[in-house]
Amino acid sequence: MARRALYPLFQMGNPQLRVFRPNFFLTLVRPGKELPPDTVQFRIPMEMTKCDVRNYLENIYNVPVGAVRTRIQYCTNKKRNHLNQRVKRPDYKVAYVQLAQQQTFEFPDIFPKKDGKPEEGSAEEMQQMFLDDEKQRQKPDPRRGGVTEWFGL
Amino acid sequence: MAATAAGRVLTLCRQFQTGLRFSSALYIQQSTISLARLTHCALRLTPSSFVETHVGIATQRRSLHTSQSRMGLNEFFDLPENWGEPTVKSGAPWTAKQLRTKSNEDLHKLWYVLLKEKNMLLTIEQEAKRQRLSMPSPERLKKVERSMIRLDTVVKEREDAIRLLQTGQERARPGAWRRNIFGFTYWYKFKEFAIPWYMNQRYKRKRFFTPQFVNPFIRLRLEKHLREKIREKRAERSRQRKLMGKISKQSAKA
Repeated sequence: MARRALYPLFQMGNPQLRVFRPNFFLTLVRPGKELPPDTVQFRIPMEMTKCDVRNYLENIYNVPVGAVRTRIQYCTNKKRNHLNQRVKRPDYKVAYVQLAQQQTFEFPDIFPKKDGKPEEGSAEEMQQMFLDDEKQRQKPDPRRGGVTEWFGL
Repeated sequence: MAATAAGRVLTLCRQFQTGLRFSSALYIQQSTISLARLTHCALRLTPSSFVETHVGIATQRRSLHTSQSRMGLNEFFDLPENWGEPTVKSGAPWTAKQLRTKSNEDLHKLWYVLLKEKNMLLTIEQEAKRQRLSMPSPERLKKVERSMIRLDTVVKEREDAIRLLQTGQERARPGAWRRNIFGFTYWYKFKEFAIPWYMNQRYKRKRFFTPQFVNPFIRLRLEKHLREKIREKRAERSRQRKLMGKISKQSAKA
């Protein structure tokens, strides 16, 4: 099933309803609380059901799905805007998908810290060199031994 | 580096364009393999025996066109060499003109490519939000969305053309202008029912007409509307007049 789609009324003998362009978008999220290694957490649209999640993952992503559990996350209503009116953050549905066939999943670190060594002769390197030079110039005189600038002749 | 990996969708779009030219005649299986080569998917293949067996079963069973998928859940993430990069290169979104040259099958394949790309970008966006970092190249999301909207319009255009040829219906969901009990005219969309209308008690309870005794109220409503309009106009004119008076006074002083 897809969002905001009107399907013909099903009657016995009619062909099965099909979705050609599903417009459901899943977000794989890092679980806030620790989950078993075979469980994956998704944020799914409100209209999506457990069966939809299973079909979606099995058919589009070829992921073996053992079980799907869902809940609806109520989001905060406490925020106020500049007119002091309540602003509701939209609720969303969370799906816990248990993988089949002894599959495990761990959320990878997709923003690893890279040591920023810019390329030779690039504009970034030049900028970095300039900044280092400026920093060196700004440093106080080491012979004064940490005495402030305004003190002395 | 990001430049070599090249943001997947949009460079992929170009490659897809060339790839489809020879893949459309082949089976889905083969076309997806040819796509795999194009989309650098070989880099992300996980050497697990399960994946291959599962793919084999799945391709036999289903008739759905989905794009290459071997990586399972890893498809929710970008290519590993793009991880941690501040920017990821990407091309332009698909234009409707480009999409109109494609066959229906190719369009539906492309839909799944874009769908996966959008899922990936949403995952990255959420993770960046969680870690309080900036998302690398957030413009990709908008590009994918635009491509999807355009693809949808192109497919709908074709559906419209076929419907007009076959049935002469102008709309996908037929409807008619009807009046309700309060004298308002509105667009009523037709719905499917399992039983004919004369047996449908709930449908028959609806009143799509305006009785005679409502006419004076319609007239009152009209008068109210006109009076509001006139009042607005008068207020605007008086405001203008006051403003003009002020301006003329100031100019006289100066």
